[in-house]
Amino acid sequence: MVNAKVLLTTMFVASTVFAQGPAPAPIAPPSAGGAAPGAADVSVKQRPTLTSEEMINQSRDYAKSMNDTLKRIQTLQDQAKREKDIIRLNCVTDKVVQVRVNISIAEQSMAALQEAVTRNDEGERTHEFTRLTIVNQKVLVLGAEAENCIGEDLSFVGATKVDIEIDPNIPTYDPTQPPAPGVDIERPGEASRML
Amino acid sequence: MPAYMNRRLALCIALAATAIARGASAQVSAGQGEVTIGYQGLPYKSTGESNTGVQVSEGVLLHVGAGVEAGYDSNVFYSESGSEVASPLLRIGLFGDMSNATRTGAVGQLLFDVRAGVVYRRYQSDNVNVQNFSNAWMPTAGLGLSTGGGQFGFGFADTFARLEDPPYNPTPVPITRYNNQASVEGRWAPGGGRITATLRYTNVVDIFQDFYEYASTDTNIVMLDGSWKWLPKTAIFLNAQQGYIFYLNDAQAMANGKSSSYPLQLTTGLRGLLTEKTSAILALGYTNGFYANGPTTGGFLGSSYAELAFTLRPTMLSRIVAGYRHDFTNAVIASFSYNDTGYASYVQQIAGRLALDLSGRYVHRRYQGDFVDSSQGPTPAMPNQPQRVDDFIQGGVSLDYFVRNWIYAGLAYSVLSNSSNIASVEYLKQQMFVRLGITY
Repeated sequence: MVNAKVLLTTMFVASTVFAQGPAPAPIAPPSAGGAAPGAADVSVKQRPTLTSEEMINQSRDYAKSMNDTLKRIQTLQDQAKREKDIIRLNCVTDKVVQVRVNISIAEQSMAALQEAVTRNDEGERTHEFTRLTIVNQKVLVLGAEAENCIGEDLSFVGATKVDIEIDPNIPTYDPTQPPAPGVDIERPGEASRML
Repeated sequence: MPAYMNRRLALCIALAATAIARGASAQVSAGQGEVTIGYQGLPYKSTGESNTGVQVSEGVLLHVGAGVEAGYDSNVFYSESGSEVASPLLRIGLFGDMSNATRTGAVGQLLFDVRAGVVYRRYQSDNVNVQNFSNAWMPTAGLGLSTGGGQFGFGFADTFARLEDPPYNPTPVPITRYNNQASVEGRWAPGGGRITATLRYTNVVDIFQDFYEYASTDTNIVMLDGSWKWLPKTAIFLNAQQGYIFYLNDAQAMANGKSSSYPLQLTTGLRGLLTEKTSAILALGYTNGFYANGPTTGGFLGSSYAELAFTLRPTMLSRIVAGYRHDFTNAVIASFSYNDTGYASYVQQIAGRLALDLSGRYVHRRYQGDFVDSSQGPTPAMPNQPQRVDDFIQGGVSLDYFVRNWIYAGLAYSVLSNSSNIASVEYLKQQMFVRLGITY
């Protein structure tokens, strides 16, 4: 009787286990050598082996690079102002605004990175460094876009045409001119009965 | 093109017709076109017409015209009431005008306009006295040049006319006059043209023949005008004119009490638009004849110059002019006269075919100084004898219908009336015409 119960239990467990199918493969770690064929690599290049000091130095390089990009775009902005190229100015100004926002984010990340280094918080440090890297790349893209802003030279549609409507009642001559020259002629008055 | 050349020639034609044109012209701004009071000469062309003219060559346009007036003169010799001699009258006019223009407007930087014409007048009368003056030929000519228009401008104009009219009394010799008026001017309008300066020299040679030969003069006037436009077509101005007038026949002039003079006129005021349809000339100033010998102008009124003129254009096809002027002028029969002149003109076009011109003026003229006829003013022997004072009225109306843009027919009427404190110089003269002409 006891053996029969053990057999039934074993069969039930076994059928349940086999009903689950084959076990899934373990999750592979990110490949350092490249993506598998047919899959895009959307990962951010990181150097997980960087030391804290190297991360800080790298982040300073990023900050310098972003500020250089901002200066370059501001130069383009000034140039567009001088040329009174309103179309290009609008485009470049839009990039300047976006770059400034990203630099602001980068400054916050740098501060957080330094705090993480101080706390020796490796996870936080890696996170902030990754954020900095992404922001830097975005600023570089904005810089390239600013260089490619198109002005009036390519969108010029012809000289400005101004239509003026003048009231037809207004005389075409200039009434402010001095009176006409000359002496009016008159028949001389009668000087005497003989003339 | 100096617009005043057209006006001057129009005046000459008017003068050829009635021998009265002084003051018949309202003193209008140079650009306002022609405002002639009284008799209107044969039309130059249909108003607003731009489809006439022979294109002689590229950029040279020729206008030609001819007209005939037949009518009646109620008082050939400007005689006082009861002594009038009337006569039928025929007048034929021809003219040619050439300018560097096309039918659509002027071309080129240097604009020119050359015009020449002749008026033949004939009194058709059995009266022997009138027959002495049956035929008169009166040529006119004009040349105008102008260039610039921006910061600098230059203009030159010259008009000539020979005028012949019966005398006041039926003597055998007509009143014959040769008049040449030339002017040259430079204009400077720096910047946007708000300030404009005009420097102009005018020379008038006026030569009489026979009885009035003593009154032949050479007039020289230098004018400097500065204006500031405080609105695009409204300006305040300062105007200074210095003249030098001398008589061509010294001995005869002296014998008739004539003296050279250096008339000065300083005025200031406003010129230009008051509203979109109304323009005005308001001028006040000082004037003095500065006669070299004998009496000269003086007193408050005698030293004052005033002018008030309004031009209203109620519609595109009508114009009303009204004005008043107080000034003095050299006189043939005395040293000079103070004049108060009021005038008005109404011009109406209807459908570009019918042209009505109605105008008139009144002049109150007080003669001063040495009188040619000693009975017309004070003399050393009779110092209390009153000076001659005339009230002169002139009116005219013409109605022309353009059957086509090159042929017209019309009616004209003019009246001249002089009232005076000397009865023998009063007269009433009326002329009426039917007229037919072509102009192309």
